[in-house]
Amino acid sequence: MHEAKLCLSLLALAERALADAGGERIAAVCLSVGELSGVAPEALAAAFPICAAGTRADGAALRIERTPGRDLVLRELEVV
Amino acid sequence: MCGLCGCGEGAAHGVTGAGRVHAHPHETRRVSVERSILAHNREHAARLASRLAARGIDAIGLVGGPGAGKTALLEASFGRLGREAAAREVVVEGDCATDLDARRVVAAGARAVQVATGSLCHLDAQLVEHALESIALEDIRRLWIENVGNLVCPAPFPCGEHRRVVLVSVTEGDDKPEKYPALFAGADLLVISKTDLLPHVDFDAARCIAGARRARPGLPALLVSARSGAGLDAWLAWAGGGA
Repeated sequence: MHEAKLCLSLLALAERALADAGGERIAAVCLSVGELSGVAPEALAAAFPICAAGTRADGAALRIERTPGRDLVLRELEVV
Repeated sequence: MCGLCGCGEGAAHGVTGAGRVHAHPHETRRVSVERSILAHNREHAARLASRLAARGIDAIGLVGGPGAGKTALLEASFGRLGREAAAREVVVEGDCATDLDARRVVAAGARAVQVATGSLCHLDAQLVEHALESIALEDIRRLWIENVGNLVCPAPFPCGEHRRVVLVSVTEGDDKPEKYPALFAGADLLVISKTDLLPHVDFDAARCIAGARRARPGLPALLVSARSGAGLDAWLAWAGGGA
């Protein structure tokens, strides 16, 4: 139920990383989702395009890898 | 010129997502970030936990499904501690609506702040910190953070507690740790509650504990009945052995 809120945190992190990298926009977002993070990848994937609309990640692809552990990590961006 | 974005490139563009934006494989570059999305709340929670510790306040989080007996355990604990000691206990109560739980623990002698989370499914460090602004912490010995009844969502969100207790009542079933391992992975104690009902339900405490320990090896477990008082002494000894 809280994946939309997490998506907003993800986008805030991603936009900061984009600015640091001097990019224009985000083409892809690569995330790792821990098996024990309590985060549902499907719900994240559903929320992502809605939360990203109108941001510099509008239309960006979301790539999710499952990892052991409890964390949710923004691994890398593909930026333009 | 590229007809979609005016980028001036003649190279092939792969269309992604809903097709609104098209990727340019030849000009994207990879930027490594490696930052946790949960870190913001985690850092907030760590700051709150140290602030509480600096004031000599032990903070214990309670998580579990709705009806696991979190509030009843607190009521019984405050009853056992007695009025004078209970007056130095504070409870932050998280629920989607009503102040029913806050009223119950206040009637049992503690102080309480109710956080009505609306549609939010869990507490986080910011909500707890905000709730604490409305209460004097001077002579407080212990803070209880009773999360929204939920076996899923509170898992990745520490709230500033020093230790976290997960409750499973015998009426919920012994398979809950296997089905919701994330919540147990972050726990410091498993309390199996409502043990006075054991003769009436098919609940295998050993299975429940084994399931929880698969998520969190070595997790201590206690069997408690708030109603009969069985196990309360061991529970209060654990609670009193904090930071």
